Amino acid sequence: MAAWLAVIVFGGFAMLPVYWLFATSLTPRAEVFSYPPKLFPSSPTLDAYRALIDNPALFAYLRNSIIVSVITAVLSVIVSAFMGYSFSKFRYRGRRSLMYLVLSSQMFPQALLLVTLYSVFSAYNLLNTYTALVLSFTTFTLPLCVWMLKGFFDTIPNDLIEAAKVDGATRLRTFFVVVLPLAAPGLVAAGLFAFVRGWNDFIFALTLAGPDKQTLPPGLVNTYIGEASTAWPELMAASLVVSLPVVIGFIALQRFLVGGLTAGAVKG
Amino acid sequence: MKLGDGAFALLLTLPGFALLCAVVVYPLVSALVSAFFEESLLYPGRDFVGLDNITAVLSGDFLRLLGQTMTFTVGTTLLPFIIGFGLALALNTKIKGAKALRGLMLIPWLVPGVVVSFLWMWIFNANYGVLNALLEGLGAIGAPQAWLAHPDTAMVAVIVAKTWQSFPWMMVMLLAGLQTVPPELYEAAEVDGAGVVRRFASITVPHLRGIIGLVILLEFIWNFQHFDIIYVLTGGGPAGSTHTFATAVYDTAFRGFDLGMAGALGLLWMLLLGILVVLYIHFSEKGEK
Repeated sequence: MAAWLAVIVFGGFAMLPVYWLFATSLTPRAEVFSYPPKLFPSSPTLDAYRALIDNPALFAYLRNSIIVSVITAVLSVIVSAFMGYSFSKFRYRGRRSLMYLVLSSQMFPQALLLVTLYSVFSAYNLLNTYTALVLSFTTFTLPLCVWMLKGFFDTIPNDLIEAAKVDGATRLRTFFVVVLPLAAPGLVAAGLFAFVRGWNDFIFALTLAGPDKQTLPPGLVNTYIGEASTAWPELMAASLVVSLPVVIGFIALQRFLVGGLTAGAVKG
Repeated sequence: MKLGDGAFALLLTLPGFALLCAVVVYPLVSALVSAFFEESLLYPGRDFVGLDNITAVLSGDFLRLLGQTMTFTVGTTLLPFIIGFGLALALNTKIKGAKALRGLMLIPWLVPGVVVSFLWMWIFNANYGVLNALLEGLGAIGAPQAWLAHPDTAMVAVIVAKTWQSFPWMMVMLLAGLQTVPPELYEAAEVDGAGVVRRFASITVPHLRGIIGLVILLEFIWNFQHFDIIYVLTGGGPAGSTHTFATAVYDTAFRGFDLGMAGALGLLWMLLLGILVVLYIHFSEKGEK
């Protein structure tokens, strides 16, 4: 009984806003500006979604988002796999310190890093480029992705690696041919996390990228916020569209992700 | 393993550490160094001013910012914890559809921070917002309120929006913890006649002590530096009432172009954050043993 009560009260807090986002996106523009609001749009319409499609600026932001997030995902998986493999299968002095160094790097405030990062990228003429965004995002995915992949590598028996060595495989070949295929689910999960990091970011894209390289989050803020009367149905429709890839990707990979998520944090 | 393995292992970590140095370590150190200089984003060069920036910050906004940051952080840590724990306990019973519900409730945590802001901006809207309509319908308020435009309510509104984003993570972590509690313990306690509250207090809480501490600490650290939702929802306003260290440092650097003051504020912020990070590392090392 108590369980149901908690689900209804807290679940209502969780899900009603999601419903409201969806309902508003289907509401005709004129109807939104009436009070009290109608909980069910009286004549649902896809006008808001059509307005999105007719806006070429949004497609430019979308393209930037896709480019930046995909490259971030690929780069992050490569860099994290190397690092996670080193932490998982080799024993050397300072290993644990290095591991905690990587982990603690996620604790530094990004607003503060940006104060200098802006000047650094400016000095190398990298402001308003995909490079600046990809390098930043990839770095911030490392703590989670490295620890997650280390967890996957830990489950691969050392015997397999030894056997490959006996067969005369080089260390790099062993890594690419024996280890990586076995950790494939981990690579996909880490890749998705990195993709989402790039996709959801706001502060870096807002600061380091000019209007023509900006991704969707700052792009949407620039397009819709601060006008006299915000086009709420359009903004809610855009919000829903931006959220879809992340939600779908997560549902598809939930099995691996929830495990990796909790493992990384519970074990430290 | 033969001798070269150590070198090979270090080589593997090289790309990652190069990135960490370039994007985290160097900018961090150099931002902190600029605390001791008068430096602007608008023109090159800088002058050493010693502790001037830091005393200026301390005698200026610091205490107010600290108070607001703490209000935001404590609120956005405790509320999600309560909601997340409640849901985790509920979903850990054998109610039907627990898996599907858990998946659905992750949505607020998955969507981009700006989407969270847009949605709550609309819910809190002074003229057409659904929250005003609901509360008026319930008789809780007499007239529509401008939640985001009043210093008294803006911070609460920001905390509510951030809570909505944070609780799913708490729920997932605590649920994972709950599933490690052996069911035999509950069964034995039930045989002994222990009630629900008793079982919760003497089995669940002690068993989860480690993970409860960890999720609260991590959430606290993250919220202590949270930026997105505050910045989009209120921009730190009205009258600076929702500024935290994160938004204040950002505005000082990129709206006021004052890198020295931003660095000074950042330095003090980092000192406080450093204590939390040390606690966290201490905590997770203990957890590994």
